[in-house]
Amino acid sequence: MPGLRRRSCRAFLLAGLVPVPLSLLLFSCYVIRPGQGGGQPGTRQDRKLNPEDIALPAGYRVEAIASGLTFPTAITFDDAGGIYAVEGGYAYGEEWGKPRLVKVMENNVFLPIAVGDSNGPWTGVSYQPSKARGPGRGFFYLAEGGQLHGGRILRIGMDGSTKALAENLPSYGDHHTNGPVPGPDGMLYFGQGTATNSGVVGPDNARFGWLARHRDFHDTPCRDITLAGMNYRSEDPFTPGGKRDAVATGAYSAFGTPTVPGQVVKGEVPCNGAIMRISPEGGKPELVAWGFRNPFALAFAPDGRFFALDNGYDERGSRPIWGAGELLWEIHQGTWYGWPDYSGPKGLDRAEFTPPHSGTTRRLLQNPADPPPPAPLAYLPVHASADGLDFSRSPEFGFRNNAFVAEFGDMAPSAGKVLEPVGFKIARVDMGRGVVEDFAVNRKGPGPASKLNSGGLERPVSLRFSPDGRSLYVVDFGVMGVSAKGPEPRRMTGVIWRIWKESVK
Amino acid sequence: MKTSSFLPLSAWVLSAWLLAGCAGRRSEPLRGSLDTSDPRIAHGQTVYMVECEKCHPGGDAGLGPSLNNKPLPGFLVRFQARHGLGAMPAFGKDELPSADLEDVAAYLKALRGNG
Repeated sequence: MPGLRRRSCRAFLLAGLVPVPLSLLLFSCYVIRPGQGGGQPGTRQDRKLNPEDIALPAGYRVEAIASGLTFPTAITFDDAGGIYAVEGGYAYGEEWGKPRLVKVMENNVFLPIAVGDSNGPWTGVSYQPSKARGPGRGFFYLAEGGQLHGGRILRIGMDGSTKALAENLPSYGDHHTNGPVPGPDGMLYFGQGTATNSGVVGPDNARFGWLARHRDFHDTPCRDITLAGMNYRSEDPFTPGGKRDAVATGAYSAFGTPTVPGQVVKGEVPCNGAIMRISPEGGKPELVAWGFRNPFALAFAPDGRFFALDNGYDERGSRPIWGAGELLWEIHQGTWYGWPDYSGPKGLDRAEFTPPHSGTTRRLLQNPADPPPPAPLAYLPVHASADGLDFSRSPEFGFRNNAFVAEFGDMAPSAGKVLEPVGFKIARVDMGRGVVEDFAVNRKGPGPASKLNSGGLERPVSLRFSPDGRSLYVVDFGVMGVSAKGPEPRRMTGVIWRIWKESVK
Repeated sequence: MKTSSFLPLSAWVLSAWLLAGCAGRRSEPLRGSLDTSDPRIAHGQTVYMVECEKCHPGGDAGLGPSLNNKPLPGFLVRFQARHGLGAMPAFGKDELPSADLEDVAAYLKALRGNG
């Protein structure tokens, strides 16, 4: 009997204790489990609205104040608190339309203030109040993404009159001209994203659509750089006939153009992966900081410090990067922030950035940075696409001086595999501790409302506090599925949400 | 003997499968704010934000799997962090000192129990 008990005990241990951790680990395995991006098949194409489907901290409420917008990307307010929104006029998936600045009226009436041509996307807007100091008072300032004719910074009057303050910004690629926001010095600060994911033009850029339009386009550094001479072989998607040629492409070079070790690439301004500034009356852009990938959202904190959200690398293209988070940076004049060889202070040649079953990522620049780039203030989830940033200023809203972040949500599988949907929510960041907390999430689960068959958040792309600080307005881009063919954005599904603390409505 | 070992095995595998698939969300809007008055948990949270948050946001799944629904004991959490597994990289002592790793495990335990 004792022997039998020992055997039973051993059998139990083998049958139970060993398989439990093993099973947990196997079922958690990144390689074995299928990808479950938020936009992957299962996404509904229509849109329901039900604020009760959005969970918030105790005491907060949410309502939809406008719906039926097409690809909205930004919001701002005039002197009287009137609400204005930007419709992008372009979305990934090569969906084209006319970008618009509209005044948001009641009952989903949108009064056009200005309409652009097909050079979207319009990606951001700010209004400089009449009581502000400086020459730029009483105007809207917009970033025009410039997929066809290059990026521009536009100044638009209340009567719709439009003046280009900067033109021909290098914005034909994956990422666009973003912002702009007025700084405390009266200058306009704006971002310019990179042409590529990680410095090398490849077939992924052909899939975006822009490489066929601009075969010679590539990233331009802001300062002189020396290349390590890394080249990447890929298929040439423009080869006539069936079988595709192989070509080699180096960093900061046109598709099919190799580089050599020690090759110097001259820097110039305007450039890619940079934050620049310009006078509200126009003139040549000045460099503020560089080495970003896509500094989509810029904001000045209540204490005057300047911050940017930078979209992290994707696992795509000739130089795929794995596991690089979205970064919240404090911006300092003249600093280089690491693209294309770092994510935060860590070099991309570390194992943690190597895609499974791939070789080590090699650096593109010849000399490692000394000192390395600074540490970001906060890390946000890989592929969350952290695109909207503002700071709470009001004790009546609460979480004063916290940053609020709109997470557009993953673009898996195009941008890389994820095990569960990432993003599709509003986060807040305790700026003192760098702690990221959820603030507004879909109640039924992670992912966009269209995947959850709920009436909650879809793809939050921007947010801004009202001038009195009591309400947080969230711009929700609308439904965008992602199939094997790429992004599939859905028109007229954009929404503006308002969040407030119940006691102060 | 075979039957007696098959049953617990099946039960464990089924449980593990269900655990791996069920929601692990523990964030403030759904479960209320986490008590971080314990300095170890507060410190573990800040370390977690730098080293772990980007792949396991709020302890939930994202690029990597959920940690909130993994009832692994602390020593296994620490073992996996130190040695890596599959796609997850290993964190050396220079990058994640033992005291910090202990606090991360304490934070994860608190997070699992939140709400």
